[in-house]
Amino acid sequence: MVYEEPITDYDYKVENCTCAFCGCNCDDLVYLVKGGEVKGELKDGVVVSGYVDGGHVVGCRHACRLGASKVMEDMDQRLLVPMIRDEKGNLVETDWDTALDKAAQLIAHAVRPVFYGWSETSIETMHYGLELGELVGAVLDNQATICHGPSLQAVQNAGYPVMTLGETKNRADMVVYTGNNAMNSHPRHLARYSTFPRGYFRKRGRFDRTLVTMDPRYTDTAKMSDIWVGFEQNGDYEFYNAMRAVLRGKKLEKDIISGIPKEDIEDLVESMKQAQFGALFFGLGLTHTLSKQRNIDIAINLIQDLNKFTKWNLIPMRGHFNVNGFNIFMALEQGFPYGVDFARGYPRYMNGETNTIDLLTREEPDVFMVIAADPGAHFPSGANRHLANIPVIQIDIHWGPSTELADIVLPGSFIAVEAAGTSYRMDGVPIYMKKAVSKPKNTRDDEWIVNELLKRVQKIKGIKPEVASK
Amino acid sequence: MKIITFNQKKTSTIGLEFDELIPDEIFQWEEKDFQKYEIPIGNSRFPLKDYFDVDVVGSAESPSDVKIILNGDLTRIKYIGTKMSTGEIVANSSVDLHCGSEMSGGEITVNGNAESYAGREMTGGILTIKGNTREFCGASYIGDWRGMSGGTIMIHGSAGKQLGECLTGGEIYVKGNCDILAGIHMTKGFIQIDGDVTRWPGGQMQGGNIIINGKLSRLLEGFVDPEIITNPEIEGKQITGKYIKYVGDIARNGKGNLYLDADKNRNFL
Repeated sequence: MVYEEPITDYDYKVENCTCAFCGCNCDDLVYLVKGGEVKGELKDGVVVSGYVDGGHVVGCRHACRLGASKVMEDMDQRLLVPMIRDEKGNLVETDWDTALDKAAQLIAHAVRPVFYGWSETSIETMHYGLELGELVGAVLDNQATICHGPSLQAVQNAGYPVMTLGETKNRADMVVYTGNNAMNSHPRHLARYSTFPRGYFRKRGRFDRTLVTMDPRYTDTAKMSDIWVGFEQNGDYEFYNAMRAVLRGKKLEKDIISGIPKEDIEDLVESMKQAQFGALFFGLGLTHTLSKQRNIDIAINLIQDLNKFTKWNLIPMRGHFNVNGFNIFMALEQGFPYGVDFARGYPRYMNGETNTIDLLTREEPDVFMVIAADPGAHFPSGANRHLANIPVIQIDIHWGPSTELADIVLPGSFIAVEAAGTSYRMDGVPIYMKKAVSKPKNTRDDEWIVNELLKRVQKIKGIKPEVASK
Repeated sequence: MKIITFNQKKTSTIGLEFDELIPDEIFQWEEKDFQKYEIPIGNSRFPLKDYFDVDVVGSAESPSDVKIILNGDLTRIKYIGTKMSTGEIVANSSVDLHCGSEMSGGEITVNGNAESYAGREMTGGILTIKGNTREFCGASYIGDWRGMSGGTIMIHGSAGKQLGECLTGGEIYVKGNCDILAGIHMTKGFIQIDGDVTRWPGGQMQGGNIIINGKLSRLLEGFVDPEIITNPEIEGKQITGKYIKYVGDIARNGKGNLYLDADKNRNFL
């Protein structure tokens, strides 16, 4: 490992910032800002209120490497001006009015528009996006469609025995990670919430907790665990079924189930029954193996079974910092968490029909708006092939594979650094993310961009004649 | 008897939603009504006549007198026969999602494959699929514990994942193979699969009967008390052959019955 000198060349500190990387939403970050002028109150070099106008974040304390690398300046990849793809296929710079008008025309006249993304922007932006989607009869979908969608389906089936991360920190004496490698994907999860911190009832921190990893792979998280259960790939459902059978007093008949000796399963179940407060964290290893949502369904049912003996809860390890926010927001507003289709004038939700990947591979969408997401990098080739054939509007802060597919690029701002907004942590706790520095000169807040699109589409459809802002 | 024939003129990549064109709704329609009708496509409605020529022959006193025949490429026609309660629909091609979903009576014949959710939440009637079908055939809507509760689904080909998920009644017959978790969460009803099954039929089932006449690759631990029975009578049907009968899924205190062909599944004995 390369040793890096501590950053000392900065002018201001902005404390209690929130990380805009993963679903942990760590809200104890300190941004080190160089240059600029404080618009607000400054005390002993710390910006107490307001933000730094024209400053640059040069360092980030308390964040993990993933969070810090996102928060730190990367202006070489930054989208700074609106762009439209010309007839030769090149993206050329343009002004905001031209770009917004063209985008609004495309959206207003589309037959099967899809608005995808939303997980790396604020709830306030989603509010305008939902209004726009309802107006034009679009499909609104977020990254859950390729990650924790099965979890949401299972929650609808089996319930949601959820806890907060604070409860985990203070109470959990047995922590189980299944189908995820938190040490790599959510590096501060163990350190800040689940395993290492000293809690009210767990004064000795790590020494008071048993850490279990259930994963086919011997991951970095498994290496730190007291117990590693390496069941076979795609064997999740059978493994959990066996655990439930043991909980109900059945003597297992097969010697080995999903690659695990039956004695180990019986011992594990006994340990889980003996815990005072158990916390199970599951990731995409569970949601995206063979049985999909049924893996989560049976895991939730296992937790419910365990609650006949002691206290157990679970939390899905959500990836993007506000992917949970979109699901909570949509479920509250429309009753469905993702993949909501307004084509018939009322919300509909059907997996396999109203999800982005299915729609794209069926070549249905005729306009695609991607906001704060990168389908170009993450979608299967069949889906991206259709994106290359239809108009794509991108609202984002960085140049990425989706920019290569985009026909209109609208540069947004970085939530939790350059713009304030609300997000929901993986456990469903809302966190207000404050603004630390000003955004680049010619970019706009996501909230403003989507609101402006809404107003221009309303004008095209003759609903509200005025365009409120320039 | 009124025979309404839809002959396709043009296809669409965006699915056409046929839920309004069921015998219950259109039994009194004449050709001029179809000429005026606009069909939902995406967020708009477009004239049906752009996509189909519609011929109407005969007359109908009630929806039960109607037979609808669909010709052409129907792979982008969704919701065929959705919520129909009587009459007959014949689709002479493979069809898109939700064919026969929530139907309560009548008969649908698909002379091809059916996409996912065929017969979802159906309460009555007969759905025959001459080809294969995909996921969630006879299943519930997302989050609901009650899937298909009546009627019959006959699949001449193979079925996808979670066939008869949350089945609460009715009968499903599959002549071909079946993917994982057939009859998951089922509480009542009858599933017969003549081909092979990959994994874990009857996961968390609480009641009902599943018969597998082919080879099963993996069985869940929650199925117990195996016994050999010959020529069982199940739900009033006389089944011929020697079977291993299990009770399960006890992981959910289930009392469902799973019958495996004894000759093809000797490895479980």
